[in-house]
Amino acid sequence: MLNEKPTLKSTAKAFLYLLPMLLITVTFNIYPIIKSFMMSFYTKYDFFTDKVSRIGWDNFKFIFSDPDFHIAVKNTLIFVVGVVPLTVIISLVIALLLNKIKWLSGLFRTVYFLPFVTSTVAIAQVWHWIYNSDYGLLNYFLSLFGVNPISWLESPKYAMLSLIIMSIWKNLGFNIVLFLVGLNSINERYYQAAKIDGANSWHQFTNVTLPLLSPITFLVTINGVIGSFKAFDQIFALFNGNPGPSKSALTIVYYLYQKFYTEWKYGIAAASGVVLFFMILVVTVIQLSYSKKHVHY
Amino acid sequence: MEVTFKDVSLSYDGTREILHHLNFTIPEGTLVSILGPSGCGKSTTLMMISGLLAPTSGKIFFGDKDVTKQDALARKVGMVFQNYALYPHLTVLENIMFPLKMAKVKKPERKKRALELAKLVHVEDQINKKPGALSGGQQQRVAIARALAKEPSLLLLDEPLSNLDARLRIEMREEIRRIQQETGVTTIFVTHDQDEALHISDHIMVLNNGDMQQFSSAETLYDNPSNLFVAKFIGEPVINTLAIADFQGELDQHVPADILKQAVSVGIRPEALQDHDSGDDTIAAIETTVKEFEKYGREKNAQLDFHGKKLLTTEIENTLEKEQKLTLYLQKSGFYLFDQDGKRIFGGDQDVK
Repeated sequence: MLNEKPTLKSTAKAFLYLLPMLLITVTFNIYPIIKSFMMSFYTKYDFFTDKVSRIGWDNFKFIFSDPDFHIAVKNTLIFVVGVVPLTVIISLVIALLLNKIKWLSGLFRTVYFLPFVTSTVAIAQVWHWIYNSDYGLLNYFLSLFGVNPISWLESPKYAMLSLIIMSIWKNLGFNIVLFLVGLNSINERYYQAAKIDGANSWHQFTNVTLPLLSPITFLVTINGVIGSFKAFDQIFALFNGNPGPSKSALTIVYYLYQKFYTEWKYGIAAASGVVLFFMILVVTVIQLSYSKKHVHY
Repeated sequence: MEVTFKDVSLSYDGTREILHHLNFTIPEGTLVSILGPSGCGKSTTLMMISGLLAPTSGKIFFGDKDVTKQDALARKVGMVFQNYALYPHLTVLENIMFPLKMAKVKKPERKKRALELAKLVHVEDQINKKPGALSGGQQQRVAIARALAKEPSLLLLDEPLSNLDARLRIEMREEIRRIQQETGVTTIFVTHDQDEALHISDHIMVLNNGDMQQFSSAETLYDNPSNLFVAKFIGEPVINTLAIADFQGELDQHVPADILKQAVSVGIRPEALQDHDSGDDTIAAIETTVKEFEKYGREKNAQLDFHGKKLLTTEIENTLEKEQKLTLYLQKSGFYLFDQDGKRIFGGDQDVK
C-alpha cells in the first residue's frame, strides 16, 4: 500500500532488508572512520593489547610542528593543483576530438581507456623506463631537440613533475569516457538552434557545450581532487617504495603510511588522516558551493 | 523576404531521394504552411530553407539572392524547433537575448529589445525563470521571441504546436497569426495537422512522399484539390472515395462521356451527399441503403451502402431508420473525378457555375 503508515513491524522488515549492506558498511566504513578519529587522540597506546593509557591533542601538536608533515601538505597541494586542471582540460580536448572523428573512434576509445584498466604498478614500471636518465624514451626524445639528459626520477627538482605527468596520463582514460558520455547526451537541436541564432563554432562550444557539459566537468573535477589528495600507490611504485628523492614526492597519505607501517606511530598516522579528511572536506564544500552557481543540470 | 525553390532535390545518402524537384515561391509577408503526413519531407524542406541542410541539386533564392551555398549562420533566419530547444542553462531573458549577443549588440540595447519581444509574446512576467520552470505554451512563446530577436527576414516554425494540449494549440495558433501580422515577417509553418494549416495560413503547400502536391489557399485546396491525395488529405470527415466501376450508369447523363472514359476514382465530400434535391447544384441521384445513423449535438451522420461500398454523409435533414432505402442527391460542389494518376479531371471551379 502506498499510503501505509510506518509500524514497528514494517520498520523491522525494512531493517532486515538493509541488514546485509549495513553490516558491510558499518564494519568496513563507519567503524574504521570512528576508530581512526578516536585513534588520532591516543597519545599513549598499546596496539597489541588495544589499551589506551592517555588521550589528548599531542598527536596534532606533533604533526603541525613536524617539518616532514609540512612538506607532505605542500607536496599534496602541488600535486592536486598540477594534476586536476590539466587532467580536466586534456581529457575534454581529447573527448571533443574523439567525438568529431567517425573513423576508428572505437579503437581510439579503447586505446585511451587502457591506462584505466592497467595496474598502477605496471604503469609505473613502464614510466620508470621512460624516465630513465641514461636510456629512457623521454630523454631520447628531448635529445632530438638538443635538451641535455634530465634525471627525472633521481633529481628532487623533477621528481614531482614526473609524478604529475604520469598521473595525468593515468587519469585520462576514464575521464575521456565520462566526457564522451556527456557530449553524446547533448541534444543536437541545441547546436542547430545556436547556429540559427548566429553562433559560430567557438560560440557554440562556449555557450552550448561547456554549460551543458558542466555536470560532467564537475564530477570529473571532484573525482580528480579527491583522488589526487589520496595519491600514494603511484608514488610507491614509481620511486620503488620511496617518497621520491629527498622526500620530493612525499604526500600526506605517504606520510601516514610511513608513520603507521614503518614507525608504528598509530596516533600520529591517524591524526594526519584526520587532517587530510578535513582538507578534502573543505575543498569539496567550496566546489559544491561553486557548483550551485555554475553547474547546470 | 520572398523564398524561391528552383528544382530543389535532396538525398541524404546519395541513392535515395527524399525530396524531388521542388519548385515554389513563397510571397513576402505571408504565412505559409507546409502540410503533409509524417515522413513526407516537410521538416526537411524547412531545414533547407534555414540552411541547416544543403540541397543535393537545385537552387534556393531569398529575394533575388542565391543562398544555396550559404549556411544557417549566413542566412539569418529565425527558427522555432518542435521541442523549442531553449537553452536550459539560460533564463528566459537570456534566451531571447542570445541571438543579439551573437550579433554583438550592446548589452543595454540587447536587454531593451528582449524586453520588448517578451512583451510581444506575453512572457514579460517570466523573464527571470529558466525554461524548465515554464509550461509548454510559455516555452513556445519564448522560442518565438528568441527567433524574432534578430529581426529575421524569415520566421520558420517546425511543428511548433505538436507538444501542446488541444486548447492551448488553438490559442497558440491564433497567437502565431497575431505575431505574424504585427511584425509582418514572412513565416513558414510546418505541420501535419490540416486544422492548424487551414486556420492560420495565407497559403498552404501540401507535400507527400517528397513531391509537392498543391500550393494554394486553404479554400482552393478544399474546393479544387488538384489530385486524389489532396482531396483525401484535406477535409474532416474524410472524402468518400469510390472506383468509377462502382457506379452503374448513374453518372452517364451528367458527365461528358470523354471525361468519364478517363476517370478511375470518384471523390464525394460527405456534405455533397444530401437527402433532399437542391435543384441546380444536384448533379445526380443515387439509391442507397442506410447502415448506421448517428445524431449528436447538431451533427447528423449516416453511413450508407451503395452497391456494396460504404458512403458517409453529414447532410441529413430527416431522421433515418436502419436498413431503410434512401435516395441521395450528389452535389456538384464536392464531387470530383480523378484519372489513373490521381489527377482531377472533373469537379471543382471548372465545372461548378
